[in-house]
Amino acid sequence: MSDYAHLAGHRFPGGTYTLAPWLSWLWSDACKLEPDWGTAHQGLAYLVALRGAGVSIQDIFDLMDATADSGVVFGEFQVDYHGVLRPGATYKCEAEVVDVERKSGRRAGVFDKFTFQVKVREQGSEDVTVVCTNSWIFPRAEGE
Amino acid sequence: MTAADGLHAGRRVTPFSIESVDPARIKTVAAILQDPTPMHLDPAANRARGMGGALSTQGALNMTWFVETAVRFAGGVDRLVSFKVRFLANVFAGERFECTGTITAIDGDAARAELELVATADGRPVLGGTAVIKTG
Amino acid sequence: MPDYAELVGRRFPAGTYTLPEYVCWLWLDAAQLPPAYEAHPGLAHVVATYGMGVSVQEIVAMMGATVEDGVAFGEFGVEYHESLRAGATYECDAEVLEVERKRGRRSGIFDRLSFRVTIRERGSEAPVAVCTNAWIFPRGGR
Repeated sequence: MSDYAHLAGHRFPGGTYTLAPWLSWLWSDACKLEPDWGTAHQGLAYLVALRGAGVSIQDIFDLMDATADSGVVFGEFQVDYHGVLRPGATYKCEAEVVDVERKSGRRAGVFDKFTFQVKVREQGSEDVTVVCTNSWIFPRAEGE
Repeated sequence: MTAADGLHAGRRVTPFSIESVDPARIKTVAAILQDPTPMHLDPAANRARGMGGALSTQGALNMTWFVETAVRFAGGVDRLVSFKVRFLANVFAGERFECTGTITAIDGDAARAELELVATADGRPVLGGTAVIKTG
Repeated sequence: MPDYAELVGRRFPAGTYTLPEYVCWLWLDAAQLPPAYEAHPGLAHVVATYGMGVSVQEIVAMMGATVEDGVAFGEFGVEYHESLRAGATYECDAEVLEVERKRGRRSGIFDRLSFRVTIRERGSEAPVAVCTNAWIFPRGGR
């Protein structure tokens, strides 16, 4: 059975991401919350982190030999906030794989828990704004 | 009825309509197009411009409905040769969009028909233009 | 008032765009249409906009304007040579065809910018679609 533990420490390209005001507004509206042009919902940390990490959902699927039909799901998501996200701000992101654990559960069967972390800083600042730690669950068939 | 059923100049194009333009879908288009324009996102933006409190659609969305009219009349996407559309006025969420027109010319040798199409929103003209479809 | 006629013939940098299946699906849903097509012909606009190698903001800036100036779609046309395909990668070439200074009774002075985007599937010489855009840039004055 293939093991993806060797991916721990793998660094994603990283990059920058500007949180456009229109996107911030639309995000709040799509979540049926009160949109405000001057305030970004802190839930956008997920989007800023993923876009700024320089890696797409498909890239991560490819890394883990999965496809959109593999049944990949969010496992856990944690954000440590050190500052507030701002519409119009540009963020610099660094991202790496923390861990890939092969696990099995009675109902879930065999799966890989893929954990990666993104550190988000506002461009020009050394201070971290948010740290996002994601784990995704990759179901594996028996013998895979 | 499609173009296969008795074509002649002056024949009416089967109307296509959207009974009520959905504001949620306008926002989806904004996300797809990465369009920052507030009038597609925030009703207050149009209110501030004296244009009522409804979102306005993107030109790309209006154009898609214009194209849909021609495609349905022609009988399929591979039967649409070309179109040209002018944007006359905004379309707003909640309005009834309708597009129709007439066949203006038939070229039997080339197996083509030219359509003149007009679209309205709650009866107001919003789009005008032409489309060329295959007839053979 | 500056004249932008010298932009005629300017070619934008070539670009590419892969038309994702999910965008094809979402476009139909957004247009409140049934899922009857692989890729709706109206998506030619999306392919051209993303693939033309220059952003809307850059074109607006090229014309000495900002998005707050009320830049509007004037006309849009497409000649189809083939159907669009979900998942295909398209290469787009764009060039400015014309910039006309005009005056309307109600609209005042405006510039009409026409540009053409030719869409080809990667690896193919033959065009899939040719899109012609005309944008209106109000310049004030009556």
